[in-house]
Amino acid sequence: MTGPALLVLSTGLPWALAAALALFDGRRPWVGWLAAAGLGASFVSLVVLLFRVLYGEPAEVVAGGWPSGVGIVLRADVLGTVFAVVSVGVVLVSFVYEVLGGVRSRTFPALVLFMAAGLSGLFLTGDIFNFYVFFEVSMTAAYVLVGYREQDYQVRAAFIFAVVNLVGSVVFLIAVAALYHVTGTLEMQAVAERVSQVNPNSIIVIAAAIFAAFALKLGLFPFHFWLPAVYVGSHAPVAAILSGALANIGNYGLLRFGGGILPEELELGATAVLILGSASIIYGALQAISRKQLTEVLAYSAIGQVGYVLVAVGIGGPVGFSAAAIYAVVNSLNKTLLFLVVRLRGRLVGAAFAVGAFSLAGVPPAVGFVAKTAVFKAALAGGVVQAAVLVALIFVGGALSFVYMFQAYQRDFLSQEPQGGYWEKAGPLTGRVLVASLAALVLVAGLWPEPLLVLGEAAAAALAGNSGGGH
Amino acid sequence: MILAVSLVVAIVFGSGAFLVLQRDLLRVVVGIVLISNAATLFVIAAGHTRGAVPILTIPGEAGSQASDPLVQAMAITALVISSSVAALLLSLIYRIYTSHKTVDIAEISEAEAREAEALERGEDLEEEEEMEKRPR
Repeated sequence: MTGPALLVLSTGLPWALAAALALFDGRRPWVGWLAAAGLGASFVSLVVLLFRVLYGEPAEVVAGGWPSGVGIVLRADVLGTVFAVVSVGVVLVSFVYEVLGGVRSRTFPALVLFMAAGLSGLFLTGDIFNFYVFFEVSMTAAYVLVGYREQDYQVRAAFIFAVVNLVGSVVFLIAVAALYHVTGTLEMQAVAERVSQVNPNSIIVIAAAIFAAFALKLGLFPFHFWLPAVYVGSHAPVAAILSGALANIGNYGLLRFGGGILPEELELGATAVLILGSASIIYGALQAISRKQLTEVLAYSAIGQVGYVLVAVGIGGPVGFSAAAIYAVVNSLNKTLLFLVVRLRGRLVGAAFAVGAFSLAGVPPAVGFVAKTAVFKAALAGGVVQAAVLVALIFVGGALSFVYMFQAYQRDFLSQEPQGGYWEKAGPLTGRVLVASLAALVLVAGLWPEPLLVLGEAAAAALAGNSGGGH
Repeated sequence: MILAVSLVVAIVFGSGAFLVLQRDLLRVVVGIVLISNAATLFVIAAGHTRGAVPILTIPGEAGSQASDPLVQAMAITALVISSSVAALLLSLIYRIYTSHKTVDIAEISEAEAREAEALERGEDLEEEEEMEKRPR
């Protein structure tokens, strides 16, 4: 299949399937497995697309057969495709986990498919307004998914999540309109080209609005207030999807808009970005240490972990951007693994959690080490003072995350005596095997990090090509 | 004209933001709707030309007289999204109302505090509530 066909298939297939499966009762196993097959097909086509994009040209489709520059552009470069592969993969794993345990709502499979369609669409679009539309598709599915299982506190969490993120979306929409007014186009490459000819001081307000919108999605330090309630409230696989896949919108948005479209404005605000990132790391880690419940620890840890991505983005340049991409990918693997583990117990699961904890803290055999090293390397690229501060920060952050992860490990996995009903509480065997294989993936990626590093560099290169003004 | 439009956008956005901070959840939703409409107005205002309705035929040389169609396409997309999300929010409120018998945030947060205490005691909420619902 050609690149453009894969591009359309990866978004279109889950979308069409979602619309069809919305008519059926999602609690039936065949609906769940059909949806999983659709997600799998989308994932495979994205992986194939990634190989093509990595060793060839970026794939591009103009919707409706319009000439380029008139129609809406779908465009797959390495950066977008990497994020699409990881996010759809995370959604697939979390969904399979829930299907194995038994789906409890009619609409769950269709909603997950809509979210996957929105996610792969927004990572593969080359049009800023289309980005907003796909973003809303996946966010709207997420609002409903937070309320999945319909416990009272879950519905409340869904309401908080929806209200806060809608305000963020509106801010982003306003920024998109403003960018259109300044540049007269919505196509990302053309916007980047024309913005570079304008004085950065006049765009900085737009850049700040975009930054606020994505920081809100990510739950960065001053914008984090909604995140713990939502992550703690939602059902484990949904929390895995939120922190493993949906948070990637923020990571990708910061990279694409900050690094690709508004690089000069990012440079102008680099100090603010670095400070916010550092505050996020410290705040998240300290809060996580003081929490007793595992999901709460993970929620605050999510606030801390995105801080690293922000620090890497703030450092900027090819090294910084590739570190940010690598860290984002690794973080979504870690968070998916850890959130899926929350409701399971047993030796296998304890080992999987330990692997996740090592990875989060950045201890060598796990893939988190690769990510931390990449950020270290980026931190060293700056001036002496900045490098010293950032290296100290990353080290302290890593040590703190080591502390809170193993506090949690000790509390929830080590001290549990095998007793009556122990295996019943351990959860379904298939789910535990799924989690263990995810942990194995984290280990393998840590032992053989070349593919990840190559992808990170290629992603940063794709970003540089974008800001340099077309091909 | 620019001043008038920006004033309107500012006032609508401001009242929306004020309503979002209210205690009554219904007002919060109305606030979100107002904020979205302020954004839609802003999108329309971001157009590059103003003039005739840009439908089908633009008479010969007078192409520049038509208003910018792109912002209108964007505005209608944003409207569709915001109206459907408003419907979703209202249904969430109804669901909250059926379980708490109130839409006042202070009373709801009391219930929330009780659950947080249960969380402190180390009880697993999701499991517990499911156990309660299960027939014994």
